[in-house]
Amino acid sequence: MSEKSLNSDLPMGTNAVFANMHKWLQRGLMVCLTALVLEGALTMPLLAVWYGWPTLSFQEICSELQKIRFSDDSRECIYPYPLFGPAEGAGQTTAKDQWGVQPVPEYKRIGYRELITIRNARLAQ
Amino acid sequence: MNQTTSPSLATSTKGLDEHYDQSRKAQRQADLWLMSGAIMLGTLVLGPIGFPVFLRGLSLQVKAQKAGLTVRPVLVTLVGYLVAIDAALNSFGWAMDMIAHHSLMNRTILTMWGNMFDAGYFWHYNELWIGGASAPGEKAWVFALLPIVFSMRLAAAIGFLQMKRWGHQWMVVTCWFGVVAWVGYVANMTIFADVRYANVVFPVVGWWLYDIFYISPFLAIPYLHSVNREIFSDS
Repeated sequence: MSEKSLNSDLPMGTNAVFANMHKWLQRGLMVCLTALVLEGALTMPLLAVWYGWPTLSFQEICSELQKIRFSDDSRECIYPYPLFGPAEGAGQTTAKDQWGVQPVPEYKRIGYRELITIRNARLAQ
Repeated sequence: MNQTTSPSLATSTKGLDEHYDQSRKAQRQADLWLMSGAIMLGTLVLGPIGFPVFLRGLSLQVKAQKAGLTVRPVLVTLVGYLVAIDAALNSFGWAMDMIAHHSLMNRTILTMWGNMFDAGYFWHYNELWIGGASAPGEKAWVFALLPIVFSMRLAAAIGFLQMKRWGHQWMVVTCWFGVVAWVGYVANMTIFADVRYANVVFPVVGWWLYDIFYISPFLAIPYLHSVNREIFSDS
């Protein structure tokens, strides 16, 4: 097969030397693009459902996450937050960690829709 | 078409012009849908709307190709949109962390995401005076990579998809920035793995989902350096 006819089958911009590499790059790019498109489409709804939406509103989820983050049940998610107010967590003293050069957080892992049961248990007290 | 029925040069040139005109229109139509979808996917919040929009663009692109129109090479489309979505996801997420860290949307979506995959966006969040992520080194990455890497990468991807010479050149530049960003960022997350992954919902799966699929520079760079640059136009 002449070089000309070989090249005529190749996509624009690809020459015969790099044809094989471009074929494998195309496969890898296809996998990554599919993964990123699915991530972009599904991340938000899956997160919302995992953390208790629509049973909990976004503001309630925000409050529950703050209570866990700072180990403080009195925390509430203030919304709308004052425009030039201090950072909401500034100066807090309740969060639990093992402090050191490698800090280790001590909050607990949150299970599937567990924020709902945590919230209901607290409200029942 | 004229070019197949008439032997005259003038008529076949006209046919060729028509073909390019149709091709340009088809490519532009597909790109309007694809880029709108990509930007919406990049916001995460509008992702579910962006998904069908992006797929519609993809189907228009494939249809134009099957109709024999002169559209962009598949590899340019793949590289361009992979980089565009990667850059949009990082640009919007980090812009929220930098200037909108106390918005309700940021405090729910970003800290939910942080609690599930990367506690750099959950651990002591909104505690620094400057707000946003508090994990060691993270805020510095936000300031360095948002304006210098990801916003520029989004612009470069648009120029690249338009097959402009500057788009190709800026893709090369920002993809190499991307290599520095990816290696530095992954090293930071590994060194401070306790902060990032202790007690998050999906630590290992999360690492794979949100680091491995951002390796676009490693796939784009070999293509950018081996493609025939003459296919990108100066105008």
